[in-house]
Amino acid sequence: MLDTFVWWRGIALMIALLCGLSLVLPLPFMNEVVIFTIYVVGCNFMIGRLGYISFGQPAYLAIGAYSTAFYLFYFGSNPLVGILVGVLGGLIGSLLIGPFFVRLRSDYFAMVNLALAVVVFYLTEKVLVSITQGDNGLWFMTQMTSTPVLDLTIPSQFLAFGIIVTFFVFAFYKYLDGTIYGACCLATKLNEDKLQFIGYSNFSIRFLGFVIANTTTALAGAMYAVYLGFVSPEMGSPSRAAEPIIVTLLGGVGTLFGPVVGAIAYTGMKDVISNMIGNWELFIGFLLVFIMLVADRGIWGTLEPILARVVFPKSRNTDK
Amino acid sequence: MIDTQLLISGVIFGLSLGSIYFLLAIGLSLCFGLMRIISLDQLLYYSFGAYMAYTVGLATGSFWFGVAAGTVVAGLISFIVERLIFRRIYERDPTFSMITSFGLLIGGIGVIKFFWGVVPRPVEVPTVIQVDVFGTAVPVYRLIVIGFAIVVYVGIWLFLHRTIVGKAIRAAIENVEHVEGLGINVSRLFTITFVIAGALSGLAGGLHAPLIMVDPMMGLETMAFVFMIVIIGGLGSIKGTLISALIVGQVVSVGSIIYAPMAQMAPFVMMLLVLLVRPTGLYGSPLYKR
Amino acid sequence: MTTDASTTISNSEILKVTGLSAAYGEAKVLFDIDVSVKPGQIVACVGRNGAGKTSLLRSIAGFLNPTAGSVVADARNLVGMKPYDIAKFGVKYVPQDKKVFSDLTVRENLELASYATNDHNWDRVLEFFPKLKQHMDRKAGFMSGGERQMLMIGRATLGSPKVLLIDEPTEGLAPGIVTHLRNVFKELAKMTALLIVEQNLPLVCAIADRVYAIKDGRVVAEVSDKDAITFDACEQYL
Repeated sequence: MLDTFVWWRGIALMIALLCGLSLVLPLPFMNEVVIFTIYVVGCNFMIGRLGYISFGQPAYLAIGAYSTAFYLFYFGSNPLVGILVGVLGGLIGSLLIGPFFVRLRSDYFAMVNLALAVVVFYLTEKVLVSITQGDNGLWFMTQMTSTPVLDLTIPSQFLAFGIIVTFFVFAFYKYLDGTIYGACCLATKLNEDKLQFIGYSNFSIRFLGFVIANTTTALAGAMYAVYLGFVSPEMGSPSRAAEPIIVTLLGGVGTLFGPVVGAIAYTGMKDVISNMIGNWELFIGFLLVFIMLVADRGIWGTLEPILARVVFPKSRNTDK
Repeated sequence: MIDTQLLISGVIFGLSLGSIYFLLAIGLSLCFGLMRIISLDQLLYYSFGAYMAYTVGLATGSFWFGVAAGTVVAGLISFIVERLIFRRIYERDPTFSMITSFGLLIGGIGVIKFFWGVVPRPVEVPTVIQVDVFGTAVPVYRLIVIGFAIVVYVGIWLFLHRTIVGKAIRAAIENVEHVEGLGINVSRLFTITFVIAGALSGLAGGLHAPLIMVDPMMGLETMAFVFMIVIIGGLGSIKGTLISALIVGQVVSVGSIIYAPMAQMAPFVMMLLVLLVRPTGLYGSPLYKR
Repeated sequence: MTTDASTTISNSEILKVTGLSAAYGEAKVLFDIDVSVKPGQIVACVGRNGAGKTSLLRSIAGFLNPTAGSVVADARNLVGMKPYDIAKFGVKYVPQDKKVFSDLTVRENLELASYATNDHNWDRVLEFFPKLKQHMDRKAGFMSGGERQMLMIGRATLGSPKVLLIDEPTEGLAPGIVTHLRNVFKELAKMTALLIVEQNLPLVCAIADRVYAIKDGRVVAEVSDKDAITFDACEQYL
């Protein structure tokens, strides 16, 4: 049931929030938040709707980033096309990898994806060093040409672009949620046997979800590439495999706005804590444990029911 | 045509690597088989084992004392972690424990960074004696490591098959509720198993220390390999873990003689192939709901 | 839980369940159940599949936490205790699934029970089930359904339990074995109380001192007069 007004209301609110924050917070911070949000949305979808945890999101991020980088470094110079190439790379990658991974049960799936992240990292750092320049990375900031309407080479305009992309990504996922497919995803997480008996193929549902989620991740990678003007193996480093998961949990699994809340909170914390403590791992590790033990619905997940009761006391429509 | 000497030392190296992986992987496998948790923090105990070997080894002048200290400290820490944290989450599904233990691993890396900093710590091999094996000079230390793995494997087998607690653990791996129904305190079984796993991981770290760079990220770097081993062998099977660890050790070692970069990727490809044929690994058990 | 009137019961009840309600998450399965068993009695619960009989036994044994009500055995409140403590206290649950520890031998299965209860005297068990002697060193998984059921009950009798909660023991078993079990139950009742869930009505009529009929999670009938326990009386509730 697509109550159009409510549908748009939530997303519009979020976009307004992002725009508002852009006016007060520093530009680099906001750009980071926006791209990171897109990164997390894919992960959020996988955990919250498909019930799959992947410790290998950096792999798909790297695939997207490096696809864009290859295009911009070797072939062309239009950043928009570059992003498209990145998305395409992610799409192809997940189409190829999906059939192997998706038939696994959830714990194997998580591990196998991490192994993939290690392999991709290794590929970018050592094996394909002739085309990736290894740890030196690929630099193409100066090679990018300006784009009409919104010049992606200018950070402030990139931010505007980023917010627009975020809007469409959220709209897409929200739409998906309301379709039969969206219901299938949730069902496959909750009770796959029953779903099979009804006649749905768990495999196809999961495979499609896998492709969608990881292509979104690749999109984030592509955007990182264009924003930063360079890529390096570090982007796909397995040690950062926890990041999207932590942020997803922090924000609230399976909620619509979780990724945004989580991204803002995480990026903010990173800045603040890094200056204060300097030992980022210590903080993030125990934060994760704390979240899992105490508040595993995340910030938005815990806040949302409370807000819903306060703001819409009679409404039974919880935006989930 | 590979030089025989190179091949033999490659095989020995592979066996010693496989031995260390086995010690590490067995913890993961046991914890899963009995408690249905994925205990990624085993890699933290592995790191602690290595760092203890460094610190205590330096302080006492004896490497073996350091290894012993590493094993004991790892066991102690895992005891605390089990009591404080894992006890609360046994009821949840394995992915929950995976994330939580990953948080512990990362947090633990932070603790290591805090105490030891990021600069890699060198640990000296306790003996540089070389021994002649089929005409090749092989470091004795590598053979000692292999020896440890054999002793541990036999020890675990004896524990599980000849002691009443071990039998209770095997029974609980089949069905925890039935064991509870007999009146056996399964909570204690869980703790015992977890501590054994942690201690073995610490031992693996201590033994591995002279062979690699001891730095805060060592746990993460090894994690992918351990994953691949555990997946190929099948979570929950000790025999599978041993076989898988040996195979992967060989593939990485002998493989790097043939063609270095592929040696790191070959286990991954193997894992994919195994998963195609048997999605739960060679000897793995399907994920039964309890 | 605080001691209230329900715990100061007459010594004649070895197990008293009062007002028991339970649920699996949101799904409620038991509503306000009252059951009592006296020492030496064989009490049966009959009812259709899904009526809540197994949930009742599991609640008493500690595998399912009640949402309301109390379970008192031998003046001890069982609610909130861990299942292994309840078993150790003497209230033993024999599940329906006829699964023994298949990788262990029969001997080892019994050894585990002895280890838990500190009762290493297997004479009585082997008296009840002489067939087990033949299979002592075979892996338990290779035995037939009937033999496995015998092992399960045999294991549970070690340690002189106060109450045995047995879930559908004769399901799927050959008539000869059923008769054997019937005699074993009669002997067992001399030293312990039995609460048996069964769909085998002839068996129930033959040995039960009291019958509870369970339907949709509630006790719908209770027959305490042994003579009144007839096939027809029970069948109406199935």
